[in-house]
Amino acid sequence: MDLKSKLSRLQTQVGANVAAPQDTVSRLRERIAQMERSRRGHDKLDKLRRLGSRKLGSDPAGSDPNLRNLSTLAAAVEGEHIADGLIRIARRIPRRGELGTFVLHTLSANPRLPGEGTTADLRQVYIDTETTGLSGGSGTLAFLVGVAVVDTEAIELTQFLLTGFGAEATMLEAFAETLSPADRLVSYNGKSYDLPLLMTRFRMQGLPHPFDALPHLDLLHPVRRLFARRWVDCRLLSLEQKLLGFNRVDDLPGSEAPAAWFGYLRRGHQAPLVRVVEHNRQDIVSLAVAHSALTRAIDRPQDFGADIPSLARWLSESDEHQARALLQAHADSLCDAGKRLLGHLSRRAGDWQQAASIWETLAARGCIDSMERLAKYHEHVTGNLAAAQRYCETLPVGIASDHRRRRVMQKLAQAPARRRPL
Amino acid sequence: MSSPAEHMAPATDPAQALAARLRSQYAARITGELVLPAKAGHYAPLPDALDARLVEALRGRGVERLYTHQAAAWASVRAGQHTVIVTPTASGKTLCYNLPVLQSALTEKTKALYMFPTKALAQDQVAELMALNDGGRLGVRAFTFDGDTPGDARKAVRTRGDIVVTNPDMLHQGILPHHTKWAQFFESLRYVVIDEMHSYRGVFGSHVANVLRRLQRICRFYNSDPLFILCSATIANPAELAGELISARVHAISDSGAPQGAKHLLLWNPPVVNPDLGIRASARSQTTRIAKMAVKRGLKSIVFAQSRLMVEVLTKYMKDAFDKDPRHPARVAAYRGGYLPTERRAMEKKLREGSIDCVVSTSALELGVDIGALDVCVLNGYPGTIAGTWQRLGRAGRRQRSALGVLVASSLPLDQYIIRNPEFFLGASPEQARIDPDQLLILLDHIRCAAFELPFRDGDRFGKQDLGEMLAYLQEHGVVHHEGGQWHWMEDSYPANSVSLRSVAEGNFVVIDTTGGAQTVIAEVDYSSAPETIYEGAIYMVQSAPWQVEHLDWTGRKAFVTRTHADYYTDAIDYTRLKILARDKLDKLGSDPMGSDPNLSSPNLSVAQGEVHLVRRIAGYKKIRYYTHENIGYGNIDLPDQEMHTTAVWWQVNPGALDASFDSRQQALDGFLGAGYAMHIVAAMRMLSEPRDIGRAVGDGNAEWFATVGANGRGQLLGKQGEAVDPAALQRFTPTLFLYDNYPGGIGISEPLYENRAAVVTGARALVNDCECAHGCPGCIGPILASDEVRGYSPKAAALQVLGLLSD
Repeated sequence: MDLKSKLSRLQTQVGANVAAPQDTVSRLRERIAQMERSRRGHDKLDKLRRLGSRKLGSDPAGSDPNLRNLSTLAAAVEGEHIADGLIRIARRIPRRGELGTFVLHTLSANPRLPGEGTTADLRQVYIDTETTGLSGGSGTLAFLVGVAVVDTEAIELTQFLLTGFGAEATMLEAFAETLSPADRLVSYNGKSYDLPLLMTRFRMQGLPHPFDALPHLDLLHPVRRLFARRWVDCRLLSLEQKLLGFNRVDDLPGSEAPAAWFGYLRRGHQAPLVRVVEHNRQDIVSLAVAHSALTRAIDRPQDFGADIPSLARWLSESDEHQARALLQAHADSLCDAGKRLLGHLSRRAGDWQQAASIWETLAARGCIDSMERLAKYHEHVTGNLAAAQRYCETLPVGIASDHRRRRVMQKLAQAPARRRPL
Repeated sequence: MSSPAEHMAPATDPAQALAARLRSQYAARITGELVLPAKAGHYAPLPDALDARLVEALRGRGVERLYTHQAAAWASVRAGQHTVIVTPTASGKTLCYNLPVLQSALTEKTKALYMFPTKALAQDQVAELMALNDGGRLGVRAFTFDGDTPGDARKAVRTRGDIVVTNPDMLHQGILPHHTKWAQFFESLRYVVIDEMHSYRGVFGSHVANVLRRLQRICRFYNSDPLFILCSATIANPAELAGELISARVHAISDSGAPQGAKHLLLWNPPVVNPDLGIRASARSQTTRIAKMAVKRGLKSIVFAQSRLMVEVLTKYMKDAFDKDPRHPARVAAYRGGYLPTERRAMEKKLREGSIDCVVSTSALELGVDIGALDVCVLNGYPGTIAGTWQRLGRAGRRQRSALGVLVASSLPLDQYIIRNPEFFLGASPEQARIDPDQLLILLDHIRCAAFELPFRDGDRFGKQDLGEMLAYLQEHGVVHHEGGQWHWMEDSYPANSVSLRSVAEGNFVVIDTTGGAQTVIAEVDYSSAPETIYEGAIYMVQSAPWQVEHLDWTGRKAFVTRTHADYYTDAIDYTRLKILARDKLDKLGSDPMGSDPNLSSPNLSVAQGEVHLVRRIAGYKKIRYYTHENIGYGNIDLPDQEMHTTAVWWQVNPGALDASFDSRQQALDGFLGAGYAMHIVAAMRMLSEPRDIGRAVGDGNAEWFATVGANGRGQLLGKQGEAVDPAALQRFTPTLFLYDNYPGGIGISEPLYENRAAVVTGARALVNDCECAHGCPGCIGPILASDEVRGYSPKAAALQVLGLLSD
């Protein structure tokens, strides 16, 4: 017998449509609870797994919004209610003093990274979100969106904080209004996290999202280029420590943000949520500072322990001359990949001598690519066929290398014949 | 025998000639046969409305007209009806859905979602669409989207695919939870195609129905209302299953217009080689013999085996006969899961081209993979269901000449039942495919997933249970949050990842082979079957090869095993105590005719269905030697009790009638245990389910005592603490035989089981009665000890007596 007929039978028994649901309803919930218990067994592992879904029904603060004191939250985060369920926090952070080793008044409003065109001249809008989950998907929302711009005196920060689900559309619209077509977004891991998530939220609320029209710079990518082989990881916290010389004190880890927001919704717990707002502020300020600091690391890579060959490769995409100069300045300490790049850039610059000398060093260490380049070099540039043949012999067997070997041998065989009449 | 021999076509037809030969030479082994006459094709012209580009593409592939069922499908779909097409293998099913889908993609730029149960089938389908596409250069883009789709290709599939081909698991975990990324796709989604629909039954089908409810919900969000086109192999209730899967009325098309040669089916029981122990020759030897005869006669053959290992063994035997000379191309090939996709594709091509004479396969070839036409199909063992048997037999069949199928029975009880009751198999319609999408736990899982995808609003419906109550339950557990008339997802998690469509219980165990020091995962075991299969000391079989469980890490969900060469298998002894919680249905039979008040009269028999609570303890295990089935030892198992709330059917006999029918309660008890064993086999067969989907127990129904087969091979009663209880000392002795739904909450088996209550008992009676053993065997009432002859009465006779009482 299905539940509906069970329900209707029970309802007829009590002769009313009103009183019955109370009973039958708790029976349905009881049945589910009983089945869930039997499905999960009683062992510890299952209990651990279910920690995230503790029974909360007995908590009087459960879901009653009246028990959450909204005005004290707004006060605690120094924000104002701009709509039901939405707090805006606007702050000007004066560019005085330092963040770690970085002197804030030297902050640039338009830092320029290698190869950047006019996008660097746009207004740079630093953005970071805090979300209800870290696994993505349409059930995860951003409950806190922060944006900042740098002007001559201050970092101007605006944060939008949801105090319930209802105001999400209002928040997204308010956030979108802070943006204009003359902006570029700057984020940390925003390409794969914050922006796709925000796009999802705009879609879920049936709103057009502003992102297609806006350029976007994800600083994680340049940071990876410069430091992926130097640092244990490229998280924002590592960047603060290593690039800005700054350690956060009493920071609430980003991974605890979802629990902090849920805790506020369920039980009115305010303190952790206030710390999330602070965490987000710190993230955005660090992001703005890191953007400027990166340009310095590019100018003086050795001072920041940046990966010089990787930087040179990046520079070479827009300016081979600058890239080669950088490598030459560090020629003594280059790794093989750096040397190979220097050889490549030297050849492109027409400096065959430097290129050949680098290839010879590398070939002596068994670098196949360099051997092949030397073979080509001697075959086509110097005409030293004997040398070309020597390098050909060292190449591994393959269609291209066999072809080259045969051709050089042929040329060698013809060369004396051609010379004889002389 | 359902068709006399004189109705057969002349023996010049090679498959017919082989059938005649087998019948004359091995008459005693053939327990039943069936001849399906040849059918001519029925055709219809290409529909007028068909786009000219599509017509050209079809002509390019030699298609000038349609079969009538293809034309009927076109008409039904174009009329805006959800449509299910049920026709045999190789009858041109794919065109039934490709035509309307391509037409609409070409003329209206609409999109379609194709869903296949496996990745391999999805890839086949894309290849097929590509072929049709190339012919007319239609420019319709079809892509697969599954776990193998590389990350950088996914965006292109989402935004540019006109036809996206996927599987239910991917739809559930990869597409629906990320629907916003698919917004464009869902906005123009016009058709959803579900092929191999018959594979969506039981737990899997119940999950899939809910995944489709979620799909429909997402489509509504994007203002689309796609039409469903479903295809199925033969089952008894295609329209009903389709309707339950998509929660809407579905028009069924089941008359195939494709021509078909005659089909001849033989049921084959290997000869008895040891009459004392009732041991028969192996199915393997018989299968090989028949397949060899077929190949020698130049007939293209397929052999189906039940395990990958058996595929390899049979292939070796066939190759020993036909591929001795390595200079010639191979005539025999194996096909099974576990091969690389490229190998499988190459094999399929050879099969289609006819350069292979005999292929040995697992069920991997049962689903729609195109391998061309074959003459002979040999089934090494009963596939477990009537529908599954016909699907495999359908692999052999040509349009111009006849085909032969031979079902070779193994020694397993179900096989022996089928083979000894040919009229049941031959006369039965295929099974009903059943699902229970409103099973509370499955529904709850998908309500969680759906709430994540899109907040529910007050008054929304999802399934047939009270959604508001279920959401309230989830709110109590902090999973959702009610605000402003909506239920919002409220957890830092991705619920689809913790819901597996292929089972209802959580936390699969992995089986890890530690032979030789390495650690290799060789299998996964469901949580619910772990206690009875991977206890320490168990012999765990993978592809018929034995491993021994050395250590079970219950909390870590791991079983560590090593290879062994044991000549025995192990069988868990479970103590299942059941308590009846609520009786929903009751049937009283054989009431005392004198009693004027039916409530006071005492019926001889009552059968009931309802909810039960059971506590299961796996206390030990038996070691049983192969072939002789003798008990060669015992071991203890120390595992936590399993508790389950589920549904069951139970049989009770009036205590007075029972005491009157047996010399002792001990005999009655043995009879109940044996009857339960046989009824379990028959119930599993009738319910189109695996035997492990159903549990059985004998107890008092009040969890006071329960019965089990003890170390002496006799039934014994154990009390609440596992202490022995003397049946003779009980005041009231009402042994109750339970067959229960072996999933938490039940998956809808017990109601149809109750409807079939009489047939189950009748079937079990026939099974035991017709068994050739003396006192009982694993083929009828379960293994008995060699010492049973000294019992003084036959356990088999006792079981028959109980079955007699139950069929009053």
